Amino acid sequence: MTRPPVLEIRDLRTYFYSRAKAAFSRSVDGVSLAVAPGETLGVVGESGSGKSVTALSILGLVGGSPGVITGAIEFAGGNGHGRRNLLADLERYVRVSERDGRIVAVRKNEAGWRARVERSLTGVRGKEIAMIFQNPKSSLNPFVTVGQQISEAIRLHTGVTNASEARERAIGWLERVHMDSPRLRFDQYPDGLSGGMCQRAMIAMALASRPSLLIADEPTTGLDATIQSRIVALLAELQSEVGVTTLLITHDIRVVSRLADTVAVMYGGTVMEHGPARDVLATGLEPKHPYTAALLASLPSAQNNGRRHAVDGRLPVIRGEAVDTMDVPRGCRFYARCDRVTDAIRERCQAQEPVLGAVAAGHRIRCHLHAGETRPD
Amino acid sequence: MRRYRQAAGEVAERPERSRWRAAKLADQLAVGYGLLVVGTVVISYASGAAGWLPDDPARMDMARLNAPPGGGHALGTDFLGRDILSRLIVGIQAYFLPGLLAVAISLVLGATLGVTAGYRGGRAEALVTYLSNLVDAVPRLVLILLVIAAFRADIYYVMLVVGITGAPAVASIIAGKIQFLRTKNFIEAAHVLGLPTRVIVAKHILWYNCAPLLIIQATLGMGEALLVETSLSYLGFGVQEPTPSWGNMVQAGANYFFHGKFWPSTAPALAILGTILGFHLLGDGLNKILETKSAS
Repeated sequence: MTRPPVLEIRDLRTYFYSRAKAAFSRSVDGVSLAVAPGETLGVVGESGSGKSVTALSILGLVGGSPGVITGAIEFAGGNGHGRRNLLADLERYVRVSERDGRIVAVRKNEAGWRARVERSLTGVRGKEIAMIFQNPKSSLNPFVTVGQQISEAIRLHTGVTNASEARERAIGWLERVHMDSPRLRFDQYPDGLSGGMCQRAMIAMALASRPSLLIADEPTTGLDATIQSRIVALLAELQSEVGVTTLLITHDIRVVSRLADTVAVMYGGTVMEHGPARDVLATGLEPKHPYTAALLASLPSAQNNGRRHAVDGRLPVIRGEAVDTMDVPRGCRFYARCDRVTDAIRERCQAQEPVLGAVAAGHRIRCHLHAGETRPD
Repeated sequence: MRRYRQAAGEVAERPERSRWRAAKLADQLAVGYGLLVVGTVVISYASGAAGWLPDDPARMDMARLNAPPGGGHALGTDFLGRDILSRLIVGIQAYFLPGLLAVAISLVLGATLGVTAGYRGGRAEALVTYLSNLVDAVPRLVLILLVIAAFRADIYYVMLVVGITGAPAVASIIAGKIQFLRTKNFIEAAHVLGLPTRVIVAKHILWYNCAPLLIIQATLGMGEALLVETSLSYLGFGVQEPTPSWGNMVQAGANYFFHGKFWPSTAPALAILGTILGFHLLGDGLNKILETKSAS
């Protein structure tokens, strides 16, 4: 951890305002993460845990006019851009009124805010930070050939202006992502390609500008199971060969366990556990956050015919429903679903939100159970 | 690295098939006829402008008034003994450039409004809807007659009105298309790629995705412009004698229609019918061939 991180998110809050309910949906609520150069940070969590919104916040893509984005997203680009806060100056366009530490009202200059986001992200989007999405088929323009789209990215972000050189480079990248018969695919429309091929094309397009950071938002969702594992294999190969720093966002713990060096487990808009992948994802290893433990327990396992933790032949589930980000409880967000609450800490769990405390070097857990073991990181 | 090679499961689902060859015969015929009409109109316009005509359209042959086809006049002569075929060809001048102007106005204005409405939504969209309702509420011909009364009977004023009143229809089609496209990830992906919004709108939305729509609107607009021009000229508000226009030719010939001399008005009437039909069939056929697949 000697080299400064490529991306450092500090206390990011992205709240959406719902007019119908006159309340804020606290989709991302105080997230702090850092991605070191060459490292892959895996962010896991169930739907609505705020992992995708975190990624979209980095690129200023949160639609539906979020009520507020606060905190800092520091990004150190590769090409002498230096470190800078992507959210700098945004507070000038927003006036927030708080009561009891909770935001109650927001007044915002929407146009100025949007223009500021566009300005601070020019030269970052696509060039410094590239992103790949779920459902690759709909991420490609159906009326433009795959090759043209990759060439466009190359011409936009690298010095190449010559059309035939851009074409050769695009074909080179298609080969690099093991697209079968790249020269043929170059002139095809996304229509004629399978989902896996489209994702390969998206990866080629993302890497073609040699970004400092790749954000992979659910890269395997919407693909067949066999294609999923091939895309994961491709990403693993590219990591070792190209060494691109990656922020991997997925709900699939198996994908994270294959690709990530560091893992952050998100729930209800906050990070519940953060640490090296082998510590966080190892089953049975303590200390562990009850939510992570429950997530791992609910995975089917091939070794034991899908019945490792099975009770009555069924997989264990996490009871209850995901926390409502519109109405976040005062205490621990996971309290209502937690099965490790003891009488000794019950009161604290209900009344006070636990802090993310270090339990080992680089391994932090947000739980009152481990509050005693907490020591300064 | 062999083991990461793609296996058979991950190959293209089906080969590209040309949209033209996949289209129905009826649509192919409609587009073929439309292209024939457009080609004829363009060639006739050019030859009329260059003066390559079978006869001088202004030369009166007093010995042969309302003569039937034949004898040096392929379509006969009119009530002043002028060659009808030459006048038909020259008549294209009356609507061709003004029509293009009207189409250009409605496309540019409509695309701008449509992009604003579709991309911004909210108030901009409400405004475009309101404008479109406003324009629809006023009969177009009445509006044109008002403009003629207020200014003068100039075809370019008329086409200005036609162009402006045609814009809301284009705008609502474009806005609808953009609203449909905005739900697609590739627009967001283009933002992530770092393309400026104006490039995304102009290139990825308008050029790649709305070009067929605009072409279709242009052909329909040409048909509309022709209809307006001929109606006005027929009523005596458009192109004035002795300059030929299909509309005033029909009107002039109509006086003799019931005296058994049907050709002076029938030829321009058929030209109007065939041409407007051609423009509409072209637009309709292109619509079916280009748009039905992209919507799926």
